[in-house]
Amino acid sequence: MSAAAGQAAQPLLVEARDLEVEIAGTQILRGADLSLSRGELLAVVGPNGAGKSTLVRAVSGLQPFSAGDVRWSGRVLPGLKGRELAHMRAFVPQRMPVPPGVEVREAVMIGRSSHLRPLRRLQGKDHDAVEAALARAGVDDFAERQLSTLSGGELQRVQIAIGLAQEAPVLIADEPTSQLDLGAAVGVAGLLRRLADDGLAVLLVVHDLALATAVADRVVVVAEGRTVAEGEPGAVLTSDLLASVWHADARLTAEGGHTALHVAWLPEQGVGAT
Amino acid sequence: MTLAPRRPLVYGLLLAALAAAVIASLALGAVKVPIQTVIDVLLGKEVSGPDQQIVEALRLPRTVEALCVGAALGVAGAILQGALANPLASPDVIGVTGGAGFGAILIIILFPGSIALLPIGALFFGLLAAALVFAIAWSGHNRGSTGKVILAGIAVLSLFTAGTTGLLAAYPEKAPSAIFFIAGGLTSSGWEEMGAIWPYFAVGFVTAALLIRPLDRLALGDDVAGSLGSRPHVIRLWAAIAAALLAAASAAIAGLIGFLGLVVPHVVRMAGGTSSHTFVVPASAIGGAALLAAADTLARTLRAPIEMPVGPFMAILGVPLFLWLLRKAV
Repeated sequence: MSAAAGQAAQPLLVEARDLEVEIAGTQILRGADLSLSRGELLAVVGPNGAGKSTLVRAVSGLQPFSAGDVRWSGRVLPGLKGRELAHMRAFVPQRMPVPPGVEVREAVMIGRSSHLRPLRRLQGKDHDAVEAALARAGVDDFAERQLSTLSGGELQRVQIAIGLAQEAPVLIADEPTSQLDLGAAVGVAGLLRRLADDGLAVLLVVHDLALATAVADRVVVVAEGRTVAEGEPGAVLTSDLLASVWHADARLTAEGGHTALHVAWLPEQGVGAT
Repeated sequence: MTLAPRRPLVYGLLLAALAAAVIASLALGAVKVPIQTVIDVLLGKEVSGPDQQIVEALRLPRTVEALCVGAALGVAGAILQGALANPLASPDVIGVTGGAGFGAILIIILFPGSIALLPIGALFFGLLAAALVFAIAWSGHNRGSTGKVILAGIAVLSLFTAGTTGLLAAYPEKAPSAIFFIAGGLTSSGWEEMGAIWPYFAVGFVTAALLIRPLDRLALGDDVAGSLGSRPHVIRLWAAIAAALLAAASAAIAGLIGFLGLVVPHVVRMAGGTSSHTFVVPASAIGGAALLAAADTLARTLRAPIEMPVGPFMAILGVPLFLWLLRKAV
């Protein structure tokens, strides 16, 4: 568990209020909020279709919103140019396409390109930033390998390295662990936690509530397009909330860094009665 | 830090092929000019006899045209395949070829006396067809999506091809003069055409160069491009505009040369072992220029003094190489 204490003293990097998003005639967000400070890992959780990804995409500037207000360090989002936004946040998609023949270091260099003028090559400080990003994400050992040869966990860490090369104060990751096996998910979760401990603000969309409880300083619970709860994971993700939002009989436990989600998988069979 | 050692090797081979094609293009034809004479003319030395005239007034402009058109089609194919993330993309799919063909046939039928208008007709209708595709594909929901661009392009291509076929059926006596344009071929008409068309090549090449980095971002997905501050549908629009300029200018000079724009980018990608646009776009330019210059030399040498259309020769040169690489690549 991480130290959430003192985060209130940090200035807000991002603040989103009452966001509404409509996609192809369907209202996806109906008043969602979140805020994020430096050095904080915020997990956005919620059922399938609740609007978690849409919320972080709207906050990132990747999804236009019809109502509400997003501020990056006090500046209103629609007024920010793409290049300015690229210096404020990096967005790591769930799984990026893998262009054939492109090597890990090359891909991370592309992540640095928001710092370059058109037609200019990478300078010394850009190469330093690329090497630092490779090292922080723990992918420097296989920087010469082609993306197409990587496992799911390795590719996800490369995606994070691409985001780190942007050197933005906020890293936004959309379900980075959803397609990973247990070991790879542990690796990515630990990496994101270390990045937050190093001072980065991390916004994480995640399905796994046990993972969110273990790594997040705060969680935002989104249901039916609204933010319905927000706070420390242990205080927010109660059995009552799991029942009302996920319609499941479940409870979270946390002991000595281990977290678990205890679920009544077959409640109608009355497991407790046998 | 060295990236894929194959890339310098491929660049070396392509440049060697380019140099050989240029020298062959200047030396060979109905009249053979010794290579030493070609080099002397290029260096500005005085050469006795008609060779100087042949090289300077006829073959040099034609070779420059072949290089420009070949490079333009290679680059147009490379940036379209990158922007649309579709291996079948080529200048055909944004309607340019269909429009240019229609424009050329229209001039041949309506103004048979002023064949000089043909490049302008091809250019105008090529760009018109592309504009139609862009207007459809970049409006409404999901604007600029790959599927929308390709479907709009194929529909517009069909429309203009129908117009071309209809015109040829209605005026069958004009068909022979249209054949050379449709099959694709260069002419020895001096610098005049290039003098009118070069600005389109220039804008197209500069735009393509500026697109190399955005296309590399787009290759990592729309979200990574968005993370880096690019707007994917804007990158696609600029790539389509640059490709339309290059392909329409090419059609104006050399008629409909279809195969090159599709295949050359694949050949350099497979040979170089990478899809990075930093490599594929310049290598496609060199490869396309070398291939068209070589094919044009063959087309006007094999049965000299009769000139054959260059399109079939390019296919004869390019398809075996392409199939060999394709077999190894998969």
